[in-house]
Amino acid sequence: MGDLLERVVLPVASEGDARDTCEAVLPYVADAGGEVVAVHVVEKAGGAIDKAGVEQREEYAADVFAVVTDACDDAGVPCETEVVFATDIADGVFDAARDHDASAVAFTPRESSRWLDLLTGDDTRNLVKRADRPVLAFPAGDEPGDDDDDDEDGADPTASAVAADDPPTVEDDDDE
Amino acid sequence: MSEDDLAKDLGPLAALTIGVGTMIGAGIFVLPRQAITEAGSFAVVSFLLGGGIALLTALSASELGTAMPRSGGAYYYVNHALGPLFGSIAGWANWLGLAFASAFYMFGFGQYIGNIVGMPDAFVFGPVVVSSVKLVALAGAALFVAVNYVGAKETGRLQNVIVVLLVAILAVFTTFGALNAETANLPASKGFGPMLTTTGIIFVSYLGFVQITSVAEEIKDPGRNLPRAVIGSVLLVTVIYAFVLVAMSAAVDPGFIASLGDDQIAVVEVAALLMGPIGAAALLFGGLLATASSANASILASSRINFAMGRDNIVTPSLNEIHPRFSTPYRSIAVTGLLILAFIAAGTVEALATMGSVLHLIIYGLLNVALIVMREADPADYDPDFEVPLYPFTPILGMLTSFALIAFISETIIALSVALVAGAVLWYFLYARSRTGKQGILGQYVLSRADEMPDAAVSAASGVQPDGGDYRVVVPLANPETEKDLISLGAAAAKANGGRVVALHIVQVPDQTSLAYARDHLEQFTDAAESEQLLTDAKADAEDFGVPVETHTVLSHRSFEEVFDAAESHDADVLVMGWGEDSHGSPGRAESAVDEVAGDLPYDVLVMKDRGFDPSRVVLPTAGGPDTDLGAAVARYLRDQFGSEVTLLHVADDPDEGEAFLEEWAAARDLEDAETRVETGDVEAAIAAAAEDATMLVVGATERGLLRRLVTGSLVLDVVDKVDCSVVLAEKERSKSVLERLFG
Repeated sequence: MGDLLERVVLPVASEGDARDTCEAVLPYVADAGGEVVAVHVVEKAGGAIDKAGVEQREEYAADVFAVVTDACDDAGVPCETEVVFATDIADGVFDAARDHDASAVAFTPRESSRWLDLLTGDDTRNLVKRADRPVLAFPAGDEPGDDDDDDEDGADPTASAVAADDPPTVEDDDDE
Repeated sequence: MSEDDLAKDLGPLAALTIGVGTMIGAGIFVLPRQAITEAGSFAVVSFLLGGGIALLTALSASELGTAMPRSGGAYYYVNHALGPLFGSIAGWANWLGLAFASAFYMFGFGQYIGNIVGMPDAFVFGPVVVSSVKLVALAGAALFVAVNYVGAKETGRLQNVIVVLLVAILAVFTTFGALNAETANLPASKGFGPMLTTTGIIFVSYLGFVQITSVAEEIKDPGRNLPRAVIGSVLLVTVIYAFVLVAMSAAVDPGFIASLGDDQIAVVEVAALLMGPIGAAALLFGGLLATASSANASILASSRINFAMGRDNIVTPSLNEIHPRFSTPYRSIAVTGLLILAFIAAGTVEALATMGSVLHLIIYGLLNVALIVMREADPADYDPDFEVPLYPFTPILGMLTSFALIAFISETIIALSVALVAGAVLWYFLYARSRTGKQGILGQYVLSRADEMPDAAVSAASGVQPDGGDYRVVVPLANPETEKDLISLGAAAAKANGGRVVALHIVQVPDQTSLAYARDHLEQFTDAAESEQLLTDAKADAEDFGVPVETHTVLSHRSFEEVFDAAESHDADVLVMGWGEDSHGSPGRAESAVDEVAGDLPYDVLVMKDRGFDPSRVVLPTAGGPDTDLGAAVARYLRDQFGSEVTLLHVADDPDEGEAFLEEWAAARDLEDAETRVETGDVEAAIAAAAEDATMLVVGATERGLLRRLVTGSLVLDVVDKVDCSVVLAEKERSKSVLERLFG
């Protein structure tokens, strides 16, 4: 895919999305010796109150970008990041692609349903339909898109201080 | 358009409508009947007085808003100026006040729906009887919370249209009212007492302007637009309220309002009388939109307040998690939604309105105090575009009237509000104080002038200071041989930051064994005497440095992962760990754990390759960057604690430029007394050469993921292995981690 991957814009919406996208796309970009520009589009209401404050969205974008820059470091791919404010996600992605003179836009479609698309807008469709440069859709890895990184609330595995008043509750769950 | 223009896209009209939209729903559409019934002809005076009090605070809010256009508005200003104790009060009052007000708006919404579709008075569910208004209010609240949870951007835009439409409908209404007005119709006044009580109730219709400051950071050109929107919205709604109230009292027979049935809405009935069915329909429709938009804007404003509170660790930042799909602060909206539903279920219209009023009056009082503090302390970065006229009279009057109005509200409500404020104070001392690190301008001002200030003020100020700054150096220990060295490094870091050392003994437990079992049979896994000895030594060594120390035993299957978890659960600011085959068990098995941790690092990490702890001659290579800043801090700790000679090493193509860089860098980091050494050529060779003369090498991670490389054995800096002296690797914390978001 040579030139196509010279300078790829990666739209990343969440940490999970960033992980999936990087896993899917970076090996190819690394092989082609290309570079990536990760773009997080903050959807603005265009003159009304937004869903969340700008400072809050910028903090969130930094978390998302941390995933990308780490993955790029590991893959040895040069990487830039940009937060884009736009009233439409796809427009924001393509504006950024123009600004950075990108050779392509690459993304992994997130698992969705008609209902979700109806509620949140079908970004996959918009990215493909409004393309003004090559758009590459990569399948997400084997594991289904792990969108929420916070759904398992691992119980605290550390056992602090062997307190003398600990009730002797021995669970013999290791009798094999 | 520049980036900034796109990010800040609330124009003057949008900002104004946030204020007007939030206020007008309550003022016109729900309260006039009660006001006229209770205050008679003085109902108009109640609204004017409420507007006056609101205006005084609006002036203060405008000045603070133009000086600090930040997310969170009133909470942010109070927390910034008066410190986190009052910040807790203002934050909770603002958040709960908005939830009470939203519940109240939803009651209004329920009345309008009831009027439009016609419903039985109440529904019976088994033993529970729920009035139909309450039921619709609950359904409506659930709907608006759901809409904001999913995050439809269209709701925001509708707001502008709704408000313009409302103002138009009300203009027509008051015109008809004026044409039919006769002074003879005015009801008798009920005197000043009831008038003031009424003002307390209707003050809920003046909450909206402060919501503009909650979204201050999103307003275009806040220096101009914020004061216009804040003050303009108060003036506009006050005028509208006054006209509507005059129309309603003077255009219909006295007694008309009082004669209305419980399920009738005063403003609609008056409109029906004056303008016919079309007028009534317009007002019904308007009321529906107004109450809905009030609730909607309040829910959005609460999430900004939550965000600002979470950022200061007054509440757990995990409340402000953004939904990966909807991009909304879904947890905050869900919690606010639950509060609203609970308040609707438990409250009455009047109780909800007055709770909303009182809590906001507390905030308004504090806002005025915050303004006075900012003006008096006058910190260097305080530079408002808008200034309150007639300072200090305006804010003092604003503060006095806000607090005084509370006294006229029913005792039950005051008692409830006092309980909430007490709860917020307790919250600060029990939860927030140990977490928040932000000191208010007031506290800094008093403590920095401890000599001139009265003793009582100084001790009060220092007694409530946040101690989230309590700096915790977590040192996991497994190997007795490196114990003393790791503790020495940790103690130096703790001492320099006025913190404490937390020594953890890591006990390896085979995978097959449950940790619970191991906890009860500790002796099978570790030599109790040895463990005891290790921690006792650690304690003694740390105490030699005069730093407080606590010790814990941590049972672990997979060493690294649990070391990170333990550091997290012990609120580490710095994790000091050893590095070597036997430091923490087999490193090869830790990869998955480090993968998780490496993306975010919630604390600074110092990793020591221990070849004997001798800090007499320390070399610190630097090329700038946050991780070498941490390295610089370590060099300072060692210098201050052990009198180390510090040498700064920089590799540059041009020795003069390199020297200039180093001197500037050193001066900015309080390392002017360090020797500087500028080399050209290969970086690693230069470091190796410099390390030959040194006893300790301190290296900042030059890029992210140091830990991962360390553990997987792919560390890029081979030099660390080659040199003969001890090496300390420093990696700076990176924002907040998944773990921190989970555990707060």
